[in-house]
Amino acid sequence: MRVQIQVPRPSGVRSARTRQAVICCAGALLALACGAALAQAPATSPAPAPQAQGAAASASTEAPSDSDTRALDEQTQALKKDVVDLNRDLYVLEEELLYPANTQVAVFLSVDVGNFFALDSVQLKIDQKEVANYLYTPREVDALLKGGVQRLYIGNLKTGPHEIVAFFTGKGPNARDYRRGATVKFDKSIGAHYLELKIDDRQHALQPEFEIKDWGE
Amino acid sequence: MLSKSWGGVLALALLFGNGVTTLAADYPLRAHAAPDFALRAFNGDNVRLSEHRGEVVLLSFWSSRCSSCRGQLEALNRTFLTYRSAGLQVYGISVEGSEALARGFAHARHVAFPMLFDPEEQVSRSYEVDSLPMIVLVDRNGTIRDIQRDFTARDQALYLRELRGLLNE
Repeated sequence: MRVQIQVPRPSGVRSARTRQAVICCAGALLALACGAALAQAPATSPAPAPQAQGAAASASTEAPSDSDTRALDEQTQALKKDVVDLNRDLYVLEEELLYPANTQVAVFLSVDVGNFFALDSVQLKIDQKEVANYLYTPREVDALLKGGVQRLYIGNLKTGPHEIVAFFTGKGPNARDYRRGATVKFDKSIGAHYLELKIDDRQHALQPEFEIKDWGE
Repeated sequence: MLSKSWGGVLALALLFGNGVTTLAADYPLRAHAAPDFALRAFNGDNVRLSEHRGEVVLLSFWSSRCSSCRGQLEALNRTFLTYRSAGLQVYGISVEGSEALARGFAHARHVAFPMLFDPEEQVSRSYEVDSLPMIVLVDRNGTIRDIQRDFTARDQALYLRELRGLLNE
């Protein structure tokens, strides 16, 4: 039996698509360059052996030599590096355009120790509006426990007072379901503003501790 | 006359031989990057698709109200047990409004691969799921290579051929 269901089409994310298009273009350029290099390869290969050495010998000389293959490989690697550099520059440019320093607000998340809390998800609200809801996989939690810092949110806010609320969900002491919130009010002035959500252990209380640290500008 | 009959045979062979491709031809996301997602599994872990780059991922969208989904999930379980050592990862994704119904259905299937719950049906929307059951095949580079709608024994043979091809890449 085949069940027909109606699902509306999703709206695309402009920045992701732009980057994807740029990567596609860069990939096409890379492919073209590789094609051109391959087309040149037979021309740079050594001259065929004399006819007297037989057909087998002439067939082997038509294949590119090791040095040609190495040169082609180096060219490909250089092109790949160019594509990666270009992608990085475009990423930086996109960030500067989408999140100008004057209005930029970034929220980071870090975990310290984490013996009393196994992180499952974080919900982030700014001025009572949900801006991020992130589910953490075991690999991501491992990375955070090893000292990784995640940029949970980056966006734009006007100058003035704002309130940020974060809800942390996971397994608390004795593997019980655990949900706690933390809140902070901050004043956004001209210039980028940075905040950090910190999950720490309160050793004396055998409880996790959730804190929002305002790094200001 | 002879050429006409051979033409008919050829047309039938093409129709049946390329069933997966024919079905997938109208799928707009074919050959596009698979939309990333993070979902909760019924076993408690969270799953993010982008963490499976380098593996062939098979996404099976199902619902408890779809009778052929049961047979398909059982067949997928056999496929998963056979090919997981070759780099296959299978996820069953529920397209179900009720978590309790979905959980009950998932537990009754006894499959070895994780069953995920899509509470707001965002993932099924992003994959443009328009019929159930539906299978989406994602290659090792994270590109959607093929899909399969409906489930029959013939379709299974076709997607297995496609799957082996992807695992060999």
